[in-house]
Amino acid sequence: MNALVFGASAGVGRYLCRTLAALGQNVTIVSRDIRDLEAEGAHCKSLHGIEVECIAVDADEPHNVFDVLTAYVSRSERRFHTLLFPVGGALEDDQVGSSIDTMERTLNINLVSVMTAIGILLPRLATDGKRTIVGFGSIASVRGRNSNVTYAAAKRGLESYFQSLRYTLSPDGVYVQFYRLGYVATQQTFGKRLLIPAMSPAIVASAVVGDLGRNFGARSLPWFWFPASIVLRLLPWSLFRQLRF
Amino acid sequence: MKPAIDKPRSAESSFSAISFDGYDLGQCAFQRPDRYAFFDYLSTARRLIARGAGLSYAAASFGRKSVSIEMTSFDRILRFSEQDRIIEVEAGMRLGKLFEFLAHHELYLPVQPGHGALSIGGCIAADVHGKNPLRDGTFINQIQSLRLFHPGHGIVEISNDCNPDLFRTTCGGYGSTGIIISACLRAAPIPASAVEIEVTSVSNAHEIAAQLVAAVTDCDFLYSWHDCTNPSGVFGRGYLVKGRFVNVPAASCARAPRRHTRRLSADSRAAGGVNIYNCWSTRLMNLAYNRMTRNIGARVQTLDRALFPIHGSEWYFRAFGKSGFHEYQALVPVKLFDRYMSGARHAIRKSRVPITLASAKLFGGNADLLRFCGEGISFALNFPRGGGATELMRDLDFLLGEVGGRPNIIKDSRLPQATVIAAYPEYSRFRSILHAWDPNRVFRSELTDRLGL
Repeated sequence: MNALVFGASAGVGRYLCRTLAALGQNVTIVSRDIRDLEAEGAHCKSLHGIEVECIAVDADEPHNVFDVLTAYVSRSERRFHTLLFPVGGALEDDQVGSSIDTMERTLNINLVSVMTAIGILLPRLATDGKRTIVGFGSIASVRGRNSNVTYAAAKRGLESYFQSLRYTLSPDGVYVQFYRLGYVATQQTFGKRLLIPAMSPAIVASAVVGDLGRNFGARSLPWFWFPASIVLRLLPWSLFRQLRF
Repeated sequence: MKPAIDKPRSAESSFSAISFDGYDLGQCAFQRPDRYAFFDYLSTARRLIARGAGLSYAAASFGRKSVSIEMTSFDRILRFSEQDRIIEVEAGMRLGKLFEFLAHHELYLPVQPGHGALSIGGCIAADVHGKNPLRDGTFINQIQSLRLFHPGHGIVEISNDCNPDLFRTTCGGYGSTGIIISACLRAAPIPASAVEIEVTSVSNAHEIAAQLVAAVTDCDFLYSWHDCTNPSGVFGRGYLVKGRFVNVPAASCARAPRRHTRRLSADSRAAGGVNIYNCWSTRLMNLAYNRMTRNIGARVQTLDRALFPIHGSEWYFRAFGKSGFHEYQALVPVKLFDRYMSGARHAIRKSRVPITLASAKLFGGNADLLRFCGEGISFALNFPRGGGATELMRDLDFLLGEVGGRPNIIKDSRLPQATVIAAYPEYSRFRSILHAWDPNRVFRSELTDRLGL
């Protein structure tokens, strides 16, 4: 079995890579910095004896994603049972009225590059067994606030894209899953005051890998963000605007 | 350079900077990078210091105006050659995790301190010792090469052949030369499946040196434990722990293998609340422990249990409470060890401080720079902070000066610069190598500031 993890150098992606490797799956890991990829690849190879492919690509630049992945699929024979996209991030100045550069880069890394990569990699899905494509959103996209403005918009757009993807691929028996993640202990949350403690990326990875090949569409992780997000959505505007989080 | 969207944004983050022995510096700046691009953004403009597991007894991984760079996310195996028995790991790799991996290939690192939660980077920076320093030396002996980061130099590879002065200053340099990124380590084959532990009695402090010297030739592990709670009566009674590799079925081992990396941190240690050690409780505990251990006789342990004896005994450190404890570890010339013990006995009696632990090991080799190594007997004392502890430490400093010994810098968060200068003849040489490499002195901690490095 082969899996591809797009955004594998740190955070949830790193632990997805390790969890899959521990199950004996060969992994193709994609991220910006080849130094991180080679380190992670060497670690998984040493520990679990699997095959690892490293692809350095800048998710800030969808054209770079297109070129690099197109070149990869033309030279590699590998077919994937699992495609995971734990990629994303927000810039510090992501507010209403932020620069075009900030908006463009945030949309690129969270949305456009993922859509670009899926478009190229879809023909490389395995033809047998359970096949799963997993996207990662954020509880930040449940209801827009005054920070992470473009990030939240991009993640909500990504969820819509994954709904379309599920609709399109369900006749072929491909499972499309989407996780709305709560606070996860990554560089995105490091040093910030959070409402509740951040979840370990290892726990996220374990839950995601454990549920591969299941047909549930979208899910909040941890589960309690599901009722919390309903409350957030239904909260009267006069109360919601008082919240600071 | 275009700022990465995932550039660490935690420059203003802070953490509660407390050393393992309880020295509290308040809040210090803190970053926890998880990718190599982080190092591209570091400059010489800010004071920095690397941090591993944060388990140094002294305040080596934080400083008043320094940003602590925690390396725990860099915990990977980069290269492994079973044939050559060489493994390259990142500095944040924990000893326990590395042990698990190597043991799977029937290899191990002969020099390992007593807890698996320590990081490889920390072991290198403090040049720690294991269970038989006379035979195995210190951690530097199993390092083939290092990759060291300094914002003014980038990442450089150093070893005994390539920039040996910087290599020897980094191993046992307490993080002052830069951030250790990774290390190539030489592993050794595990000689046998288990370790037979034999315990022999020591009647008093005057027998320690002779018994250690007599026992060392036929042991793989050797250290001792002593009851120093009664300086007016029998002082230093205890036992030698002699370990030898033996091949036995796993089922014959005294205890099942324990988990390698138990939760241990300076914060969790200090969360214990009140110190439970006083003269009476310590006396009782030592008597009970001595009797219990003496009666066990010979037993067989798994290698991980023998290498990491502190696993499962973390409560011992927590019982010092929030105020913490002191460890005074001194390397004393063998010939003057008796004199040192007599002086220590007098100082302990005078201070009325409860000694919770006393332990000795035999060291060998040459003294070098600021590393805790050289010929002699290492003798460690633990006791709670407060009361007469400060006075006792001062008396031990003076006593150590008289016998020409050297204190362990990483074990003492109070050690004055003058004591270090007097005890370490190569202090000036260390300082000059360091300042030639890093004239702006970027990597500074409370420890390096206190020692004037």
